[in-house]
Amino acid sequence: MSIDWITVSAQIVNFLILVWLLKRFLYQPVIRAMDRREQQIAAQLDQAQAREQNANEKAQEYQAMAKELERTRNAILSDAHEKAEQQRRQLLDEARQEVTKTRDHWHRQFQQEKEEFLNNMRSQISNTVQNIARKALDDLADAELEEQIITSFINRLSSLDQQSQTLLQKASRESSEPVRITSTFKLDSAARKRLTHAIHAHLIDGAIVEYDESSELLCGIALMAGEGQLSWNLADYIQRLGQDVEKALSPAARPETQKE
Amino acid sequence: MTISPDSIIFWQWGTVSLNATIVYTWLVMALLTAISWLVTRRLTTGTKISRWQNLLEVLVTGIRDQIKEVSHQQPGKYLPFVGTLFLFIAMANLLNVVPGYMAPTGSLSTTTALAICVFVAVPIYGIAYEGPLIYLAHYVRPTLLMLPFNIIGEISRTIALAVRLYGNIMSGTVIVAILLSLTPYFFPVVMQLLGLLTGMIQAYIFAILAMVYIASATSAHAEKQGPAKTEN
Repeated sequence: MSIDWITVSAQIVNFLILVWLLKRFLYQPVIRAMDRREQQIAAQLDQAQAREQNANEKAQEYQAMAKELERTRNAILSDAHEKAEQQRRQLLDEARQEVTKTRDHWHRQFQQEKEEFLNNMRSQISNTVQNIARKALDDLADAELEEQIITSFINRLSSLDQQSQTLLQKASRESSEPVRITSTFKLDSAARKRLTHAIHAHLIDGAIVEYDESSELLCGIALMAGEGQLSWNLADYIQRLGQDVEKALSPAARPETQKE
Repeated sequence: MTISPDSIIFWQWGTVSLNATIVYTWLVMALLTAISWLVTRRLTTGTKISRWQNLLEVLVTGIRDQIKEVSHQQPGKYLPFVGTLFLFIAMANLLNVVPGYMAPTGSLSTTTALAICVFVAVPIYGIAYEGPLIYLAHYVRPTLLMLPFNIIGEISRTIALAVRLYGNIMSGTVIVAILLSLTPYFFPVVMQLLGLLTGMIQAYIFAILAMVYIASATSAHAEKQGPAKTEN
């Protein structure tokens, strides 16, 4: 248990050298390495964080882009929808117009055909009625009827109003032709005499009267004085009958059919 | 029976003698430096590190943590001193298992030298930390009457530091030597193992006590400044 002071001083120096050596070769390098590793790890963490942030930003960007895309898509879709709807409506309108036009055309045609058909029918009916009446009256025409016809003609002549009388007289004066009596049946001399007498008495005194026959008149007598004419004729009645029939069948007479 | 390695003289020139203490100290120094140099030569900063580097990092980190725990200060400026105390004593004691080796810490000269280093380092650190006046004012606290007691305390704890380490290591060596002559073969080996444990514990105690002394010279001011200094 002795202290060798030389050794002590040597050990102090040794210890201080060791402190320096270890500081130089152990603590500093190791601590530096650890610090550097920590820095690296921190840097890597920072980098990772930055990358994550970047990724988040990118993700947000992409989300925004997707939203924008969706919005654009919707806009385009709605636009297309609208256009399609518009076109549909337009096509529908066109089709409707086409249909309306066709229907109108068809309707007009139909009307026309109906009119034609009705006209045909009217004229046919009136012809048939005239023919039937003409035939019946033809068949019925006999001496007694003829006598009656002559009598009624004379009565008519006698009861002629002043205006017609004047017209006939004037027509006769202006014409060089004689007064002509046309009948459907043959007139015997007595009848001719009576007629001539009646003409002289009521219409034109001293007029020359000629007689002839015509099948155009139906069961009647007609007096022709120049342009003027006076007749009693079944044909007139039948013509009026035809006109009445036509009138009855015409569309104006049936407003409920017009309404269609 | 040789108790102190001081008495083993390898070479003498006048009053200067090269005894076993110095030679084995050099051996320990050379080993520590060589290992450090070999390992720190190829330090990597990546995530994959060698086992030796890992060992050194664990050692350094452990010492730093201990210093931090004791001093509540940044360990940077205390690490070389306190860390070297621990590593040198630990390595010197560990090599005890090598036959023919005698721990330099078993020499009172070595422990005295280390204790003197601590004795000097405490005021140096204290003055460096808070200036000479404030540091010296510690000796007259709480009153001027305490000045001699403070000085005696300072010296006595230094002597205790030296004698504690010396006694422990020397006793271990001596016990092994005695037991070898009484019950050879098995029992001394157990005592040797015990000696290893004791050596490690003594290294730890020495370093921690040195740190405590340094911290006591610097922490009074640090505590006044509040807990801001005790970060990490």
